[in-house]
Amino acid sequence: MIHLRINDNPGPGTARQRSLVAAVRPHLLCYGLLLLPIAMVCTFIVIPMVRTVWSSFQAMDARGMAIHFSGWQNYHNLFASTLLQTVLKNTLFYSVLSVVLCLIISFILSIVLNDSRNSSSRFLLIGLFSPTVIPVVAGANIWLYFLAPRFGLLGRILEPFGLGNVNLLGEPTSALCVLVVLFVWKYAPYFTLFLLAALQAIPPDIRDAMRTEDPHHWHSYFKVILPMIAPMIAFVTMMATVYALETVDPVYVMTQGGPGNGTNLIMYYLYQLGFNYFSWGPAAALSTILMVGLSGLSAVSLIILERRAFHWQ
Amino acid sequence: MAVKRKISVALLGLIAFIWAFPTLWVLYEAFFAQDRGIGFTLQNFSEALYSAPFPQYMVNTVEIALGLLVMQLFFGALVGFILARYDFPLKSLITTICIMQIVIPIYAVLIQDYQLLRSFHLLDTKAGLMLPYAVSGIAVLSFRQAFRSVPRELEEAARMDGYNMPGVFRRVYLPQAIPAVIAFSVISVTYHWTDFLWPLIVTNTSGSRPVVVGLAMVGLATEASMQWNLLAAATAIVILPLLVVFVLATKKILAAFSSTFNW
Repeated sequence: MIHLRINDNPGPGTARQRSLVAAVRPHLLCYGLLLLPIAMVCTFIVIPMVRTVWSSFQAMDARGMAIHFSGWQNYHNLFASTLLQTVLKNTLFYSVLSVVLCLIISFILSIVLNDSRNSSSRFLLIGLFSPTVIPVVAGANIWLYFLAPRFGLLGRILEPFGLGNVNLLGEPTSALCVLVVLFVWKYAPYFTLFLLAALQAIPPDIRDAMRTEDPHHWHSYFKVILPMIAPMIAFVTMMATVYALETVDPVYVMTQGGPGNGTNLIMYYLYQLGFNYFSWGPAAALSTILMVGLSGLSAVSLIILERRAFHWQ
Repeated sequence: MAVKRKISVALLGLIAFIWAFPTLWVLYEAFFAQDRGIGFTLQNFSEALYSAPFPQYMVNTVEIALGLLVMQLFFGALVGFILARYDFPLKSLITTICIMQIVIPIYAVLIQDYQLLRSFHLLDTKAGLMLPYAVSGIAVLSFRQAFRSVPRELEEAARMDGYNMPGVFRRVYLPQAIPAVIAFSVISVTYHWTDFLWPLIVTNTSGSRPVVVGLAMVGLATEASMQWNLLAAATAIVILPLLVVFVLATKKILAAFSSTFNW
């Protein structure tokens, strides 16, 4: 296949057109085959993305049709609501706690799994990673069942102490903590897989050298291992943050944002803005903010991963 | 060293038990809890099946997940092959669009996609549910990576044997991509089997509703009426098939998860 470049220094218009045609003609089949898939991505991702940003600057009717340009009004309305401040506070608390706990647990798990690689039985793996394959909604139901006042196991255990009626989902802070527990339960094993892969990618000769020079491992963990898996830790942190910010399923199933909006997280608020309150303008503004934030995080995490691969191979 | 190993196995066992316990408990209750005492029963399951058309939901989910998998593999192989094998103007733009598909969260364009489907009259259909996901950037980049690692000599040898481009693709490139196909299939099916918010918004009737959304509806209803046994059985219906598959192919599935971003 010959690769022709577009002439950088074109002469008159016709010559330029001719060179463009000459550049494109050998690749017509490629373009033809790419047309449908790329058009689909553009229709459902790229153009909606542009339209989201555009519509966040428009006043909209109840059906979500743009009426006229309104500048920063939607953003102003969005941030003027006190509910958003509650939501942001909840989301911050939930995300930070979830991500930190997830990181700590998956780090410990990955080290333990890496040490006992030969003895890690199928049973252990199934137990540990079953939450990873279970839908979040089913996981939320499981915990709902587990925590049900009086009826659930927790209620039955606490019954003799006179706490059988305690409803963890009935109080804002404890309900938010239940959501954190659910997130950690669901995702900590998943992130362990990535850290474990990073640990196993460490060349065996480094491992052997460490064993002879520092039999207790402590020093070498911090001086040798940690810097080597640092990019993966950064990647997992970013991914966990994105996942935490995108949490909506357990909120929908377990609390519907309550009690008193105590568990209303940002993605659930976006869903409510659009599909419960039909206030499409502020919803578009919030979508735009989330799009910039989340895709920025994802992009940075992919770049970290790419540079790690580049570094090692 | 032996002591240390024993400690880490014990720790692992403890953590694994804690992690598995809620699920085991719900499965146990689904099969054994009755209104009067404890004993094996399928009563909870028949009530759950009566409360919502779970078989229909399950068929929907299978159709959606497998249909999407076929589309994503087809488009992924096509675009991945072209990106790996040919050079042409605007190639980096095509790659950028595929990366955008990965990076832009569907949640951020949810409302626009919803309005798009409404204007296509595709709301509450399985096709509408699938369309935004039909081309997967991860599939494209996985295939690109797999095809890139094929030595050109192999292709030339196949050409000498008289194969044309489709033949070369089928005999030389495709076999090299099998591990990538398996890994991607696991990730894709898991993702779409468990996806929630988009199907919740798009579907309205049992003809198109996937099982996870159905389960959430049942969950809300049973929570309100405190029919906890029914909730346990409905949850068991949804997770048992997944757990059976996971038990049968534990290591393969875990390996696929950890290779999600290896491209």
